Amino acid sequence: MAQYQQTAGQTDMAFDLRSMRPARGFVTVVISTLALLAVCAIFAPSAVSAGGLAGSLPFAAIIAIVGLGQMLVVQQGGFDLSLAGGVSLAVVITTHMSGGDDAQLFTSIAFALGCAVIAGLANGILVGVLRLNAIVATIGMNALLYGAVFAISGGVPRITTPLMAQIAGGKTLGIPHSVLFAIAIMLLVSFVLKKTVAGRRFEAIGANPAAAHAAGLKVRLYQAMAYVFAQLHYCVAGILISGITREPTAFQGDSLLLPSVAVVVLAGTSLLGGRGFPISTVIAAFFLNQLSQFALAVGVPFSAQTIIQALALVFGIGVYSLRWKQAATKRALKSKTEETDNE
Amino acid sequence: MNKTTILTAAATLAMAMTGSTVLAQTPSWCGPNEASLALLDGFGGNSWRLVTTASGAEEAAKCPSITQYEYADGQGDTQKAISDINSMAARGINAMVVFGDAGPAVLPALTNAHRAGTIVVPYRVNVGGEEGVNYAKFIGSSFFEDGVSWGNWIKEILPEGGNLLFLSGPAGNSQGIDELAGMKSVLDDKYVFINPEPFAVTNWDPSLTQQVLSAEIAKNDKIDVIVSDFGPSLVGALPVFAEFGRSIPALATSDGNSLSCFWEQNKDANPDFKLFTVATGNDNVRLAVQWAVALATGGTPPTDAIFKAPVYENSVTGSPNPVTCRADLPGSIYLSAEMADDAQAKAVGE
Repeated sequence: MAQYQQTAGQTDMAFDLRSMRPARGFVTVVISTLALLAVCAIFAPSAVSAGGLAGSLPFAAIIAIVGLGQMLVVQQGGFDLSLAGGVSLAVVITTHMSGGDDAQLFTSIAFALGCAVIAGLANGILVGVLRLNAIVATIGMNALLYGAVFAISGGVPRITTPLMAQIAGGKTLGIPHSVLFAIAIMLLVSFVLKKTVAGRRFEAIGANPAAAHAAGLKVRLYQAMAYVFAQLHYCVAGILISGITREPTAFQGDSLLLPSVAVVVLAGTSLLGGRGFPISTVIAAFFLNQLSQFALAVGVPFSAQTIIQALALVFGIGVYSLRWKQAATKRALKSKTEETDNE
Repeated sequence: MNKTTILTAAATLAMAMTGSTVLAQTPSWCGPNEASLALLDGFGGNSWRLVTTASGAEEAAKCPSITQYEYADGQGDTQKAISDINSMAARGINAMVVFGDAGPAVLPALTNAHRAGTIVVPYRVNVGGEEGVNYAKFIGSSFFEDGVSWGNWIKEILPEGGNLLFLSGPAGNSQGIDELAGMKSVLDDKYVFINPEPFAVTNWDPSLTQQVLSAEIAKNDKIDVIVSDFGPSLVGALPVFAEFGRSIPALATSDGNSLSCFWEQNKDANPDFKLFTVATGNDNVRLAVQWAVALATGGTPPTDAIFKAPVYENSVTGSPNPVTCRADLPGSIYLSAEMADDAQAKAVGE
C-alpha cells in the first residue's frame, strides 16, 4: 500500500510525460499492440487495410467506452456487472422510444441518460453507502435493468433512426464518429482524473479508502459516484451501438461485459483499486478488437478464434500477475521507492 | 416476472384471435377432446420468434377444443428452458410444442414429460432421441432443401462458378450444416466457399455479422454470392461494401421485410446486388401445433411431418415473387409468413 499513498501525493505532476517514465501497463499494452499490428501486416494484411479498420474500429470504440466506465468502478475496488443491462437499456430506449423518428431522438437520448443516472445512483448507494458487495449489488441491478429492457422492447430489435445512424455511424475525414466519441471521452476522463482536484481525490480514495477517510475525504460519495459515471459511459456506448448497428438486438450489452473487464486489466489498473489508466484502456480496447479481427482475417475456425482471444487475456493478466510476484520481493526491500507511473 | 408478462400477452392474443377468427369449419386436425396446449421457446427475443409465437397462437386458436394456451420463453438460457418444460409438465398441460434451441440438452426434460403422459412435439431443432420413446413426434424443417434452392439459384446466376461466402448462426449449429450439405449437393468444385469450414459464425447477431462481414470483405477481393440463413441480420452489414468502393454482391438468403426494402433502396447503386430468398419458415410452428393438437384432441394428424420452406423472392426472374417491400410496415416482419401482415406488425409491437 505504501506506493499508493505516495501516488496520491505526487498527483500534480501526472500527465507530464517527459519528466516521468510511462506506466508499465502503458508500455506493455503499446508494445503488444504494435506487435499485433506487425503480425497482422505480415499474416493478415486485410485486417489492417483501410477498409478493414473502418469496419472494425467502431466496435473497438464501443469496447473502449465501456472499458473506461468499468475502469472507474475497478479503481474503487469494485466490479460493475450491471454493464450488460445498462448498455442494452440504452440501446432499446434510443431505438424503441424514438420509433425510427428523428424528431424524437434527442428526447429518447435524454431519457436514456436519465435512466443511467438513476441506475448508477442505485448502484452507488447500495455499494458506496450501504456497503453491499459490489458484485452482488450490480448483478441485482443488471436483472432490474433487463426487466426494463423487456418492458420497453419485449425483446424485439428495432431499426435505428437515420439521424442516429448518421451521428454514430458516419465519418468525418475518414474517421468513424464513434472513434471520435471514444477519443473525446478518453481525453475527458484523463483530464478529470489526472488534472482536477475531484479526480485526484477519486484516485486517492481508490488507492486507500482508510487513509483517504482519515484525511477527511468523502469516501462514500466518491465511491458511489464511480457507479454513476460508469453507467453514463455504458449509456453512451449503448446509444452509439444503436447507431452503428442498424437493427441492434435487445441484448447487445451481453457480449461487452467480459471485454470491459479485460481491457481494464490489460491496461494495468489494479483490481484492488487505485490508479486508473484511461489511455492504456483505450489502446487495450483497440488491441482486443484487432485481435479478433486478426483471427477472422486469418480465417481460423471459430473454436480457434475463441481460444486465441482467451490466450491473449491469460497472457495479459499473467504479465501483471508475474510482475507483482517478482516485484514483491524487491519492493519489500526498498519499500519507500516511488512508483513513477503516469498516464 | 417477464415470463408472466409474456404469458398474459400470449393468452390475451390467443383469446383475441379466438374471438376474431371466423371458424367456418373446424380443421380436421382438431379433434373433439378438450386439451391444453403450451408453446415453449428456447429463445424468444427476436422478431422472427415473436412472429412465430404469434403464428403458433393463431394456429392453436383455430381449434375450439384447445381450452388453455400457455407460452414460456427460455431466454436463451438452457436451464430455464428445461425448467419451463418441467413446470408445464407438472402443471398438467396436455400437449407441448417445443422449440428446443439447446438441442439434446433438453431431451431428458422432454422424455420425462413424454413419460408423464404429455404429448410432446419438438420442432425445427433436432433434439436427438426417438419418436414414441422420448417424445410423440418431431416436426423437422428441411434446411437441406433451403440449401438446394440456394444452390440451384447460384448455378443459374453464376454458371461459370465463383466465390461464395456462407454465414450462419452459432458455431456448429445443425441448421447451417444441413444447409451447406444441401448447397454442396448441387454445386460442384467450380464454386469455392471462401469462409472457414463449415460456415462463418455470426450467432445471428447483427453486430457480430457486421464485424465478420467487414473482415471477409477486406480479405477477399472477389465475393460473388453471399449466402446467409438469416437475411435481415445482413442489413446492417451490407453497407460495409461501400467502404471498399465495391458493389454489394448477389445474396441468397431467407426473407424479411427490412431486407426487401434494403434491396429496393440499394439496387440501383449496386449493379451486382441480386436477391433470392426462401420463406423464413415462421409457419413451421403451425405444422407442429397441428400435430400436437391432433394427437391431444383425437383429430387427424397432417400428412406432412417435415416443413419445407418454399422459395419466396427472386429479383432476377420475379418468380415465384418479385422482391416485395412494404415500407409502411415494420422492417422486422416476414411477408412470406401465413400470418396477416398487420397482425405480424402487432406481434412485433409496432
